[in-house]
Amino acid sequence: MKIVIAIIKPFKLEPVTDALRALDVSGITLSEVRGHGRQRGHTEVYRGAEYEVAYLPKVRLEVVVDDADVEKVANTIMDAARTGKIGDGKLWIQPIETLMRIRTGEAGRDAL
Amino acid sequence: MNTFQKVIAMTVVTLIALFAVAHFSHHADPSGAKTGVAADNPVNNGAPVKVAPSQVGLNKLANATGHLAISINFVWLLITGFLVLFMQVGFAFLVTGLTRAKNAGHMMMMNLSSFVIALLVYYAVGFAFQFGGVAPIANLGGTSPLDAIFGHGSSGVIGFHGFFLQSGNSYDVGVLAFFLFQVVFMETAGYIIIGAIAERVSFAAFIIAEIVLAGLIYPVYGMWMWGGGWLSQLGTSLNLGNGAVDFAGSGVVHATGGWIALALAMILGPRIGKFRKDGKPNAFPGHNLGYVVIGTLVLTFGWMGFNPGSTFGATDLRISVVAVNTLLAAAAGAVVAMAWTNAKWGKPDISMTCNGMLAGLVAITAPCAFVAPYAAVIIGIVAGFVVVYGVQFLDNRAKIDDPCGAISVHGFCGLWGVLSVGLFADGTYPAPAVGWNGVNQSVTGLFHGGGLGQLGAQIIDVGAGFVWAFGVTYVIFTVVKRFVKIRVSPEVEIAGTDEGEFGQVCYPDFVLRAETHAGVPAEFGGDPDPVEPSTVTSDRT
Repeated sequence: MKIVIAIIKPFKLEPVTDALRALDVSGITLSEVRGHGRQRGHTEVYRGAEYEVAYLPKVRLEVVVDDADVEKVANTIMDAARTGKIGDGKLWIQPIETLMRIRTGEAGRDAL
Repeated sequence: MNTFQKVIAMTVVTLIALFAVAHFSHHADPSGAKTGVAADNPVNNGAPVKVAPSQVGLNKLANATGHLAISINFVWLLITGFLVLFMQVGFAFLVTGLTRAKNAGHMMMMNLSSFVIALLVYYAVGFAFQFGGVAPIANLGGTSPLDAIFGHGSSGVIGFHGFFLQSGNSYDVGVLAFFLFQVVFMETAGYIIIGAIAERVSFAAFIIAEIVLAGLIYPVYGMWMWGGGWLSQLGTSLNLGNGAVDFAGSGVVHATGGWIALALAMILGPRIGKFRKDGKPNAFPGHNLGYVVIGTLVLTFGWMGFNPGSTFGATDLRISVVAVNTLLAAAAGAVVAMAWTNAKWGKPDISMTCNGMLAGLVAITAPCAFVAPYAAVIIGIVAGFVVVYGVQFLDNRAKIDDPCGAISVHGFCGLWGVLSVGLFADGTYPAPAVGWNGVNQSVTGLFHGGGLGQLGAQIIDVGAGFVWAFGVTYVIFTVVKRFVKIRVSPEVEIAGTDEGEFGQVCYPDFVLRAETHAGVPAEFGGDPDPVEPSTVTSDRT
């Protein structure tokens, strides 16, 4: 069991969601976050004074998947979220020790 | 005395003062039945109607139409006054949107409290100082109780009938209609100062500023211009055109508010972190530009009362010219600010475009009745430039922190508006027989063959207005700051004045962005080594 975490551009949320649904992924968690990568944000002008917009709005998705599906899910997210321009975001995969469904107490794959 | 006893004592003193001035006479008209008679028929131009005994029916008819004309003017004055009252909503949105979320409740509370406190002070003393000697206003069929002026002939400096709307028999329908219109004008000056002292002024100091404004600074200068005072009489005394002319208050309301704001902003100093060590200004982006735009549009709507209502009557059909000129200048100012910021900074600046719109409105307020539409556009264009360079000047040269641009919009553009009368007034208003400020000629500026007289009066006006409003505020608050904490502590300023001054926050359900604390220097616990904004440009995501 693995968790796939992706930081993507907010406007890519809909295509990513559609693509994951096509794969029959049912559990997705979303957070609205802000951050920057190598670009370290950018500057804007407000009433003539420059200011730094260091943290840009992003969306963070978390999907727990069976080991067999990890590669497929990760590739699907990357394909759907890619624009090819700076700021497309990051994706990483972590192992999961235990997964439990709160309502029933089921554990492991049954809780997916 | 504890606080409760003080409040009781102040209330008792106020009530005694009220009864002391509450005497009545037959000259005033509190019921309104006698206001508007045959002599008030516009066709008479104020001359009493002579009626033979056989013409009793005609006499009744003349009285009825005279009453009708005055009634129309009352409705106009009151409705436009209500529109000006609505401008408070605009100011509240504007200044709250231009400041940070941690101070939003404080900004709103200042708007609310300035309204109620300044209103009572103006009712008690301000109105009498300003208009106690204004003399009858023909469009309102009287207001004759307001005839007490200090300083004879053309040297009036203060009025003194109308304290508590009682003294000098001022309990009169005409006087009270006039009061409603004038008190909301004074309130406008009261809101202006909030923009420049925002995010750091203590609530106590703000209340004191409102009392001084409503009871002394605004009414005295207002009397010089509108209450029959010496500036308005420069035409009769020194032969300078029609004397100083300010139709709806570019100077009386806006420049006065702007200069008081300037003095207070200088005494308070900039917000923590506003200027870097090298002197460059930091940006503290406002927390809701939607509020800023809404506020600006509400103010524009309210200005349709502010300027056209200043005829004091709808029987003066110049109101259409006034209204159209006002809109033209607003649009011109906004377009200039939008285009200028786009050219200079790469993108149009939303809040500066709003400031440009208000700049045009402020500037056209003095000349709106005296100029042609072409001049309104030019006056608005110049105002657009004045405001963008004014904001730059205060930020980059003078290092005076004005979070909402109040000093530039109202001070600098108010000054320009008053001067523009002396340049663009085209000699079409008012009719020479009616005259203005006791001089029987139309107001005419330099570009329309009026010579330098009118411009001279306008220059004296802006000079006197600046010295009075800025000087008195500066002196009073230099003293006040010895006794009252006029600025919140650094801890309160950093955490937000909502929490520190009221213990309540405007947005309790939201986590404030960390950037709301940006720019705090090391001595107040901020970043010891702030990084300059990088010059990297990237695509926005």
